[in-house]
Amino acid sequence: MTEHASARAAVLPGAPAPGTVIDTRALTKRYPGQVIALDELTVSVAPGVTGLVGANGAGKSTLIKILLGLLVPTTGSASVLGHDCERDGERIRGLTGYMPEHDCLQPDVTATEFVTHLGRMSGLPPTAAKERAAESLRHVGLYEERYRQIGTYSTGMKQRVKLAQALVGDPRLLLLDEPTIGLDPAGRAAMLELVSRIGASFGISIVVASHLLGELEQICDHIVAIEAGKLLRSDTVVSFTQASQVLVIEVEEGTRQLLDELGRRGLGPTAQDRAVLVRLDGEGTYDAVRDAVADLGLPLNRMERRRHRIEELFQDDEAERSEMTGAADAR
Amino acid sequence: MPADAARPTPASPAHVPAPAPVPVPMTAAASGVIHDLGYRRYDGRRLGRAQIARALCWHSLRSAFGIGRGVKAKIIPVIAFGIMCLPAIVNAVAVATSASHAPVVHYDTYTSAVRVLVMTVFIAAQAPELVSRDLRSHVLPLYFSRPIRRIDYPLAKLAAFVLACLIMIEVPELLLYLGTVLQAHGLSAIWAQTRGLVPGLLVGLMWAVVLAAIGLALASLSGRRAYATGTIAIFFFLTWTLARLLSHIAARVGGPGRPVPVPGAIGPPHGHNVFTVVPRPVPAGEHLAGLISPFTALDGVREWLGGTTPGIIPDPGGYGPAYGLMVLVFLGVAVGGLIARYRKVGIA
Repeated sequence: MTEHASARAAVLPGAPAPGTVIDTRALTKRYPGQVIALDELTVSVAPGVTGLVGANGAGKSTLIKILLGLLVPTTGSASVLGHDCERDGERIRGLTGYMPEHDCLQPDVTATEFVTHLGRMSGLPPTAAKERAAESLRHVGLYEERYRQIGTYSTGMKQRVKLAQALVGDPRLLLLDEPTIGLDPAGRAAMLELVSRIGASFGISIVVASHLLGELEQICDHIVAIEAGKLLRSDTVVSFTQASQVLVIEVEEGTRQLLDELGRRGLGPTAQDRAVLVRLDGEGTYDAVRDAVADLGLPLNRMERRRHRIEELFQDDEAERSEMTGAADAR
Repeated sequence: MPADAARPTPASPAHVPAPAPVPVPMTAAASGVIHDLGYRRYDGRRLGRAQIARALCWHSLRSAFGIGRGVKAKIIPVIAFGIMCLPAIVNAVAVATSASHAPVVHYDTYTSAVRVLVMTVFIAAQAPELVSRDLRSHVLPLYFSRPIRRIDYPLAKLAAFVLACLIMIEVPELLLYLGTVLQAHGLSAIWAQTRGLVPGLLVGLMWAVVLAAIGLALASLSGRRAYATGTIAIFFFLTWTLARLLSHIAARVGGPGRPVPVPGAIGPPHGHNVFTVVPRPVPAGEHLAGLISPFTALDGVREWLGGTTPGIIPDPGGYGPAYGLMVLVFLGVAVGGLIARYRKVGIA
């Protein structure tokens, strides 16, 4: 497990700000009753947008609490932005903005009042809190409506207020727990866009916890996957999506013929469900496949480079893994 | 969502089909051309834990009087404060119009009935405003994830509510003093009034600390405002009524000045915690009945420590220390309970 983390640090030679945002070593949290929330978790997170993925109960919330210095680990250690989570909790919380998963807004105050007050609680003097509250709300896309009571807001606007309160103290790190929860597809897309923009142009590192892999894939540079408190994998999204040097071809009919034809042309095709897979060896492969399909006169439905989905992280299928490795080796 | 439609920077479709990995420039300038949102860093002064706690205390004190909230939030505190000041105003008028210029309201008791009633209403209505709202809206994770410690939250709230109760009790005391002193002739008369005021203020302080702690501890049990208000009101009124009832019964059974056994037929409500702190509660039901209620316990302490004005309960006599202990038990249980309550609140 640890080699993933180190391999991952090596992937980032071009990162402008070297240094680790989050670092955990053999982090273990056992709750009373022998419930193990985190099990020897060793992972490091570099600057940028990182996805923390895991099913419910995988240990995401426990990890966030430990990172914020609100929960003491049973064994092991964790640090955030170079500060030890057990000893420097206040320091870390001063540098970190946290957006909880659940509703945490007061319905009977305006967004401006709410975010201003929480800015004060982040340690901003009164005037600065007011200014930064207005700015944070503007950054998340709340303008005139920020003078309205939060109780009148839509779910999407409420999520934005939650994000604004995390942003108000000018954090170095944002911990976002399921930021798209309860949103409709359009709201999700807008929230993801917002998160990705904050990560890209605000200079703030972000850790997004989610159980939705597809979302993380869209906005993250790295993915840390945990399952049952253990590190499943930590790697860059790029390495996942580019690892696949496999071309997927789907034809309306005659899949059998196509397999034979491609085999004759030396492309070494394999069948998967209704599709045919061939290894991609440069541009020539596309031409060869095109010619084969054209010569057979088959109706071509789909021909594209296969992208490994992050979902495959969770498939403990040995064949899948070896295929990935094989594809990576072929590069 | 019309608000979203009006946004100048709607979700760009680019991210949906092509999840291109986002580069991570650590300076806003790198991609500022595309997304110039003008994010500005804050490099000004940052307050420490103590100052944040003070800000929370100030914010809570304001909300105890509905300041910064709507008109509705101000109704109860304003009316309560007004009623609380009435005896002081009546006194001022009486002093000004009577020939003797003698005050009609005492500093150390003020007017017990008004004080008990108004403080019960004020605490029952406003303590939930400070703590139940935050519990209800699950806003606590936002506090706990900020650079303060978990214990700072209940302590800041407690300090704020003690201050609020102090304002409710001591401002009328000062009005009482002012109304009397303005008519006083000679320095000695003013000095006499001042000497009366000081114990009055100290009694007020004792009331504010104990009542605020009990009120907040009870309010923190429920995120539902109505329940919290009901719990506080029932606790204060029930114990108060019970204490007075028992005191009357004891007085009737035993007659004035005679030691009487505690009537066993009263039933369980006058229960254990009251009598466990008392060495041997055999003969003095009349003296000990006041231990049940915070109000009567506070008044007992006042009389024990030398308060001369007849109060709401008979003089505790030799049982004064029991009253002192009882007030400390009320305070300790309330503060301890409040802190324990916030140790348990989850953050996520």
